[in-house]
Parts: sequence; structure tokens; C-alpha cells
Amino acid sequence: MDKKNYSKDPFEEKIDGLKPEDNKKILQVFRSKIDNQYAAHLISCLHCGLCADSCHYYLATKDVRSLPSYKLSLVEKVFKKYFTLPGKKASAWFGAKGLSKDMVRSWVDSLFGRCTLCGRCSLNCSIGLNIAYLIRTARTSLAAVGLVPPGLQSTVSTAIEKGNNMGIPREDWIETVEWLEEELQREVDDPQAELPLDKKNTRLFYTVNPREPKFFPLSILAVGKIFYAAGESWTFSRDNYDVTNYGLYSGDDEASGLLSDRLNKSMETLGAQTLVLAECGHGFNSNRWEAPEWLNKKYGFKVKSILQVVAEYIKEGRIKLDPFLNTKPVTLHDPCNLVRLGGIVEEQRYILKHAVGRFIEMYPNREKNFCCGGGGGQLAMTRFADRRLEAGKIKADQIKETGAKIVATPCHNCIDQLMELNKHYKLGVEIKTVCEIVADALIV
Amino acid sequence: MLSLFKYGVILSFFFSLVFLSISVLKTFSFGKKTYNAQPRGDWKKGVLYAFGKGLMPWEKESAKKHLPTYVAGIFYHGGIFTSFFYLLSLIFPFRLNTLIIFLVRLLISLGFLGGLGLFLKRIFHVPLRKISCPDDFASNLIVNIFLAFALICTFTWTLIPFFYLIAILMFFYIPLGKIRHCFFFFYIRILFGLFYGRRGVLPKNNITLET
Repeated sequence: MDKKNYSKDPFEEKIDGLKPEDNKKILQVFRSKIDNQYAAHLISCLHCGLCADSCHYYLATKDVRSLPSYKLSLVEKVFKKYFTLPGKKASAWFGAKGLSKDMVRSWVDSLFGRCTLCGRCSLNCSIGLNIAYLIRTARTSLAAVGLVPPGLQSTVSTAIEKGNNMGIPREDWIETVEWLEEELQREVDDPQAELPLDKKNTRLFYTVNPREPKFFPLSILAVGKIFYAAGESWTFSRDNYDVTNYGLYSGDDEASGLLSDRLNKSMETLGAQTLVLAECGHGFNSNRWEAPEWLNKKYGFKVKSILQVVAEYIKEGRIKLDPFLNTKPVTLHDPCNLVRLGGIVEEQRYILKHAVGRFIEMYPNREKNFCCGGGGGQLAMTRFADRRLEAGKIKADQIKETGAKIVATPCHNCIDQLMELNKHYKLGVEIKTVCEIVADALIV
Repeated sequence: MLSLFKYGVILSFFFSLVFLSISVLKTFSFGKKTYNAQPRGDWKKGVLYAFGKGLMPWEKESAKKHLPTYVAGIFYHGGIFTSFFYLLSLIFPFRLNTLIIFLVRLLISLGFLGGLGLFLKRIFHVPLRKISCPDDFASNLIVNIFLAFALICTFTWTLIPFFYLIAILMFFYIPLGKIRHCFFFFYIRILFGLFYGRRGVLPKNNITLET
């Protein structure tokens, strides 16, 4: 990291001001977050370097600090130094290293600034180490002493304080939903069409990404239209509607648990049967897979992606689509947290094949797809924005090769990054959610 | 004297086995991973995939893009297992016919070349060198010497004491350095299969749209 650029940076000063008790706390939290699996992973890296080409950061920059094995080695060195006998006794020989300020600086630079936690390296690891989750564990330790880069931390703090990560006031959210309800009634020509708020005992409780009411209200309308066409029993919540959970990226397990618990509690209050998560990759991973671990409880209800729900509608004939209403060629970007880490792989394909005239896969795809570069909290960390755009070149090239005019992606985080890449690399494509495309093809 | 070396090999092998087992057990002192989220896919299918198709070069981009390294690795490990087999045939003497001896020599030779290639790659490939620590070089070197002596001993028995000696050294070193992956590989692959299998990511036919 270029120290000169950060010499007067308050965040850098924070690292300089680290006291021995802060180091102790980092190590304490690090130790507490390591379980049997992580401990095994942390002593098993072969340093073969075969993970290099799997990382979009390394491919775009060829900087060894972006090599997954290098990033993992930063965590591994500290683990070996404090928690393994050979590392304690012969540090240099076994590559163990203490947690100095330089090491903390490297952790911040590489683990926050050169990783989107996309997990592509894990899939390509010679033996299968879960590198992304190990890097997140180190982020958790940094979060314990307030060393989360400012933009990312403020996103988490806003969500905790204001109830959603965009800080949208409650009345604005309700007004937006009411306005969109009128739009829906006009569009489907039915005054009874509704976007219900806090309706009890419905089949589905639907959550959104706060970027939707703030910047992309039409994506809410699209889902409302699909639910209307399917005759679904569903509801929004007036208070807890935020599907995002940036605690997944900051590494703050306490904040992550708190944010996910809001949806969990709303499910109990509203008495819905299934929690349906909007098109949001990390929101899906957080609430479907990680939240029960953060909260240490088994959910008594189902958690599904909206894609699973829409795929079911098509399969059961509950909605009818005319693919010729979407004539432009469409490609699909697979969000890492939804696909590689979430297991929602075929639903979006099944939907698009019914909703568009021409669907083109990008290569590689599905669980092997490249990250767009916007995950891992990168969009919130402006200090690493140049790297994010540079690393996004891999995705931009993938899109270009398809020749598609529309890029569909079931993730608002990805949409933001893809929109920036579209502008930066002059791709000339439209970026849409899957549900927006479905709504365009819907026969009501 | 030779039987003393033999006992040394057996003893060091058991030392290795015990300490590797302790290392695995020690990971559980860090707390056990919880699984509260309802699974979507079948973890057993994931584990089967991890030990089967998931190791094939066409399934793994990192292997597909680096076929010479992948092949060198396969030869290397093939050579190591063959050397173990040959070591076993010397410790608990049993006769190997000429065809078997020919195959043993072939596999150990390929293994040695593979290991040497990986060693040279670690020295000359800059990014790889930068992520390496002395243990990475030492581990490779010890195993390469073990293979070299195994190969020589298939031609002449005069160097057998040295072969035993390097085997003893290697067995004592295994639990300390990266060669421990000979044991941990299986542990990690199970965890890999568990993670992707439960989540329904792998194998591809783990889940259907109805799941």
C-alpha cells in the first residue's frame, strides 16, 4: 500500500494509533471466531498459487498482493504465530508472523481492499480451502477494534440506526409503496390490485433492497405485478423490509445478527409462512445461510429467493409469459453470494428462458462465474474504488463477448457495479433485474 | 544395523500418524462449526463430488489452465505412494516381480521429475516464490530426496540405510510442515463437499427446481 497517500488519512492514523490492548482484542476475537473447520483450513494451504487465475483482482492487476493465496497467507501467518506450536517456535521457517501495525495495514489493504469475498478462489483451490470465509474472519477481528473502512462501516451503522442501509425514513417508504400501488392499479387496470403493508398471516413476506425505493422503484413494481398476476398472498413490512446485511462484508457478526433478526422477528409478528428475499446476492447469503448461525437458532419458517418463487409460478402455470415481448438478446450475470455461495443456480436460467426471446450465457457461468467486483462491500469503500473498476474489467470483457444488449442480474449490488462498468468500459448495454424482465414479458 | 533403521522407520511412521491425529483433534479445541440453516442440497453428494469429479481438471479451472502443473502434481503424488509401497516391501519383505519393479521404477521416476519440476517452479516463478516460506521448499526437497533414494534402491540395495534414514526424517517432519496435507487433504475435501453440497451448489445435479 502506498503509505504517502494515506499519511493524513484518519483511518490510517487509527492504525498508527493502535495500542497493545487493541492487538490483544483483535487476537481474542480472531481466536473466538475460529472453529474446527477454519483451524484445519488455516494450516493446510499448499502455497501452490493455482488460485491466482481465479481472482479477478489478480487477473486484472497481476499484483501478488491480490493473489488469493497471498491474502490467505496474511491470516495464516498470524494464526500460526499465536496458535500453532511450530509457528511459535520457528516462525520464520513456517512463515508465521506477529500482528504488527504493518500486518494490520496489510490486512486492511488486502483483505478489505483486494477481495470481494466472492469465493471463486475456494472453488479453484487445489484442496478446497474456504478462503473467502477465512478472510471474513480476519475482517471480523478488525471490526472489533473499529478498523472497518469508513464507507462500509457507515452503511452498517445507518442500517442499525435508521432501520435500512439507505437511511430512508419510515413515512417515505410507506409513501413510495402507496404511490407504486397506484401505478400498479393503473398498469393492470384493477383498482383492487395492492402492494400490502403489514398484512397478517400471508403466505409470503417479501423484503427489498433499500436501493429499490430510493433509486429503482420500478423493480418493486415489477415484483408487485408478478405477485398480482400469480394471485399471491403476500405482504411488505412497514418497518423491517431491508434485505441487505452489510455486516456480512464488514465482518461484524453482532451487527449482522441484529440486522437479520429484524426480518426474523417480522416473520413472527406477521405470521407469514415464507420469508422471500429480493434480488440481492449478499442479502440472500446472509439471511438464508448465515443468519441462523449468527443468531444460533434454527428458523421455523422457509427462506427463499424471489427467483425460486417466480420459477415455481412459471412451472405451475400461475403466470404466463410471452418471451417475444423481450426481443433484445439477454445475458445473465450470476451474483456470487446467490449462486456460488447461495445455491440458486438454475432458477434464473429457467425464468429467463421463458421470459426472453434470446438468452445467451456468458462464459464462465453459474458457480464458476466471475465476480462483477462490487461485492465484499467494495461499492461502499470509496478508498478502493479505482481498484474495483480495474478488477471489473474481467466482467466487462465477459459481457462484451456475449454480444448481448441486456445484462440481467438478480442483485442490486451487482447492478450498481455493472452500471459503473457499463459507463467506464463503454459496454452499451442495459442492466436489469430478472423480475423486471419477467414483468415486461408478463401477460396479465 | 539395518533392522534398527527398519524399526526407526516404523516408529517414525507411528509418530507421524499419532501427531497428525492429534493435530486434527486439536482443531476441535477451537469449537465446532454449527449448522442451523436448513440444508438445500445433499451434503453426501457434495462430499462424493469433492473426492471424485471435483478433482478432475475439466471441473477445476485452476487445473485446466495449468495442466503441466496438474500433471506434475499427479505424477508427484503417484510417485510418493509408489515409494511408500516400495518402502513397505522392504520393511516387511515381500517379493516384487520384474513387471512390478518396472512399474515402480517408472512411477517413481515420473514422480521425481514431477516433484523436481514443482520445486523449480517454486524457485523461478516469482509470484509463487513470493508466497512461499522455507518450509515450502524444505518439504518439497525432503520428499524429492525420498523419491530419489527409493528409485536408486530399486537398482542397488547398498543405499537402503540412507533410504530408511530419509524416510525417518520425512515421517518426523510431516506433522510439522506442509506435508501434513497428506492427512489434512481428506479433512478439507470433506469440508469442501459439506459446504457446497448442503447449499446445493455442487454437484450440478444436487438439486432440482422443486427442492
